[in-house]
Amino acid sequence: MLQKKICMLGGFSVGKTSLVRRFVQSIFSETYLTTVGVKIDKKSVALPDKTVDLILWDLAGEDDIGSFRVSHVRGATGLVLVVDGTRAATLAAALTLRERVEAEFGAMPFVLLFNKSDLADRWVIPDSEIDELRQLGWQIYLTSALTGEHVDDAFRQLASMVAK
Amino acid sequence: METLRQLLVSREISELSRVTHLLDEPEQLAAAVGGVLPSAAARAPHAQLGEALAPAVERAVQRSIQKSPRTLTDILYPVFLPAIRKSIGERIDQTFQSLNETLRHIFTWHGLKWRFESWRTGASFSEVVLKHSLVYRIEHAFLINRNSGLLIAHVTADNATSEDPQLISSMLSAIQDFVKDSFNEKEQSSLDTIRFGDLRLWSEVGPFATLVSVIRGNPPEELHEIIRDVLLRIHEESSEALEQFEGDSSQLAGVEAQLQTCVELKQEESNQGFPWLVVTAALLLSILAGGWFFLSWQSAQRWQAYVSRWQAYVSRLEAHPGIIVAEQQVRDGQFYIAGLRDPLAADPQSLLSGTQVDPAQVHSQWQFYQSLEPEFVLKRLTASLAPPDSVRLSIDNDRIVAEGEAPDTWIDRARAAAQQLSVGGPVFDISRVRDVSPEVLEAERWQAYVSRLGTQPGIIVAEQKIHDGQFYIAGLRDPLGADPQSLLSGTQVDPARVHSQWQFYQSLEPEFVLKRLTASLYPPDTVRLSIVNDRIVAEGEAPDTWIDRARAAARQLSAGGPEFDISKVRDVSPEARAAEHWQYYVSRLEAQSGIIVAQQTARGGHFYISGLRDPLAADPQALLSGTEVDPARVHSQWQFYQSLDPKFVVKRLTASLTPPKSVQLSIIQGRIVVVGEAPAAWINRAQAAAEQLSADGVVLDVSQLRELNLAELNHLREAIQTTDIFFSSGKVVPGPEQTPVLDRLADQIKEFAQSARKSGVTARFMLTGHSDTTGRETANASISAARAETVRALLNKRGVAPELLLVRGAGTFEPAVPENSQTGSSTNRRVSVTVNLD
Repeated sequence: MLQKKICMLGGFSVGKTSLVRRFVQSIFSETYLTTVGVKIDKKSVALPDKTVDLILWDLAGEDDIGSFRVSHVRGATGLVLVVDGTRAATLAAALTLRERVEAEFGAMPFVLLFNKSDLADRWVIPDSEIDELRQLGWQIYLTSALTGEHVDDAFRQLASMVAK
Repeated sequence: METLRQLLVSREISELSRVTHLLDEPEQLAAAVGGVLPSAAARAPHAQLGEALAPAVERAVQRSIQKSPRTLTDILYPVFLPAIRKSIGERIDQTFQSLNETLRHIFTWHGLKWRFESWRTGASFSEVVLKHSLVYRIEHAFLINRNSGLLIAHVTADNATSEDPQLISSMLSAIQDFVKDSFNEKEQSSLDTIRFGDLRLWSEVGPFATLVSVIRGNPPEELHEIIRDVLLRIHEESSEALEQFEGDSSQLAGVEAQLQTCVELKQEESNQGFPWLVVTAALLLSILAGGWFFLSWQSAQRWQAYVSRWQAYVSRLEAHPGIIVAEQQVRDGQFYIAGLRDPLAADPQSLLSGTQVDPAQVHSQWQFYQSLEPEFVLKRLTASLAPPDSVRLSIDNDRIVAEGEAPDTWIDRARAAAQQLSVGGPVFDISRVRDVSPEVLEAERWQAYVSRLGTQPGIIVAEQKIHDGQFYIAGLRDPLGADPQSLLSGTQVDPARVHSQWQFYQSLEPEFVLKRLTASLYPPDTVRLSIVNDRIVAEGEAPDTWIDRARAAARQLSAGGPEFDISKVRDVSPEARAAEHWQYYVSRLEAQSGIIVAQQTARGGHFYISGLRDPLAADPQALLSGTEVDPARVHSQWQFYQSLDPKFVVKRLTASLTPPKSVQLSIIQGRIVVVGEAPAAWINRAQAAAEQLSADGVVLDVSQLRELNLAELNHLREAIQTTDIFFSSGKVVPGPEQTPVLDRLADQIKEFAQSARKSGVTARFMLTGHSDTTGRETANASISAARAETVRALLNKRGVAPELLLVRGAGTFEPAVPENSQTGSSTNRRVSVTVNLD
């Protein structure tokens, strides 16, 4: 049994919780997010040679980086950065959160999700910007919590990255 | 060769000698090794390096402690302090727990049993108590990685269930973080207990892993130590694997066996058989004892009731007057009683009935005596004195009191009895018995009669006396008062011996005044007269005439007599009076000329009137004043009409014809006669009016009108109208040669105006300016007007009232002579005057 602690980071209301709601095992209600500040879910990903249990720490969305509880990330082996594709500011927030985490615990694998891809008419992140980030070798997925598009792909990718 | 060698390896030789030198010189060697030691240590395999260094480090620490223990203590202080604190805390908890449990069980059946066990095994009592009372079971044990919160191992007891242990373990460490962050807890301690009802989560923190036990029940504090030991063992065995744990738990399979020992820990409730035998025996014993108690209690109750009845009887006897209980006792189920009794007192035997005491069981011994209690004395006195019917004997505060009337013989006997009694007995008071000898009686009766008269209203007793068995009385009496003679009846005073002398007077006492008022005013049935606080009050309803009379009477009374208040008599005539007032108003209207009342009614306190009125007639509304009719209740509907009453016709004629002052209109025998002098034009208008009026049947006689004599005036008029004021060409001011003309003209105008005014006619003078034809017509028009204005100003200056002067400019349109004649232009440049009479 291989388990990995994964932290899901992203600005306020980017859809982290909705993103995992339909694709993970969960026993805790969403009120944990507002009370304890974290909600734990599990996503089992079957890789060709083994199965990895991703223990997902869904941290309460914080636009205010200062109040982000970095201690929750201790011991994590990967990150899921979630950005709301209809709000440009959430990309900056996600990147800042990642920098914050790396400064504290060192570099770790991550996937970057541009969520709400179903809202094409309100999409504000230019493709060029996404391409630039891809050039850096980043794993980027346009996801939709609504349709489930690319969500599984993203978790599979991350699982293979952390299981190495 | 040497040279060759020098050539070939000289560099190596020097290098070698440098190294040899380095190795030989300890200082230099130390410097060189020191340079590479940290990186060498870092590169060396940790395990080997640790092993190699361990003895040296141990010795170094040992030396350090020997030299100065303080240094190491300071280093370890932050590590030890929390551990020591925790350990002390747990020890205190243990003590409290054992104390609580000991107290709880000290007096129970278990307690006794456990004391025995403690004595038998040699363990302390509290230990035994804890052993039995703390029932618990470890249901789960989680071994959690401290760093990532990932689950290393999880063991569950039989029948225990939980949600996904992986999620739980992460959440538990998240909660640890949460508590630590929320309360800013910097110390290396951790959340060690979570309690939820029956369930406890105990967490023991090791260097790399946390052991969380989920315990159901009431665990002893020592369990902490046991769990800690398990964690310690796990760390000892797999320290390296734990440190390097990265989510792959397959490396740590052996851990589960250790956790299993944890989960097997439990203390179960001992289940003992119910002690049936003991309970049955106890039950039997209590039934027997209960039966015996019940029976003896019942008979005691019965006897108790009997005795208490006897006691009630005795106290009843004691309460009876004339009975003295000297002795009483209960012996062998029999009752004995002895004492004194008055023969007049109740029979003790008869008192037994109704007490439910069996008379056969009662043995009485009574001796007679004379009781001095007042009621017995009273009985004896009644028997011996035989008081007459007019005397009543009674007991008042333990005294015997005789009241009433009695002959003096009886009083003497009573007094003797009272003297006899005085020794020891109650007082016999005969002072209230009146001696009834005949003179006294008669005088008393007379006094009663006199006081009766004194209380009679309208009777004033001035003098009274008794002389030689005759009664004399004198005073005043109101004829309306009671007859003193008739009051004698029933007083038992002999009328033949009464000599009265009464003089009549008018009493001012309210009731007499009332009577007199009633006689004189004849109040109607609707009025009630009564006396209230010495005032005579009339209430009810009466017509105002009666009220007026009553008011007059009240005024008369006011001097010295009682007040006569008639304010509460309601005047019943307002409606009638209002109707009267209305009728008066209507008749007043009807008497008015120019007002014709067509219809009028009074209904529901409102008055309705309609008819015709001449606008020149008096205003019906104004006529209301002084009639006492409420204007608000009057609803009028008037239509205007022209009255043919000569007075109105005259008014209208005066208004429409404006007769000159020399004319007078008067009404003679219904005909309107116009007398005087007037201009012919006015006479013509008057005649036209007379013709119109004759159609309506009104006679307007204008035959006596004479035409105003205007001969002199006509002459003057002619003179004025032939006067012209001439102007030089282009001038609007007349030359100085015109001044006498203007003077004369002004005088003539003034004279004419005055004469005309005298005749009641207003004369007006039209000044018309003219111009010659020279020049433009518009200029001529304005010149002509300006000339007229100038003349007006000049005449005004000479005393002619400006309102009599009218001006107009005729331009060239009204030439006096044809313009082409020789003098045409100069003759035409003028202002002419015409006279108008209104």
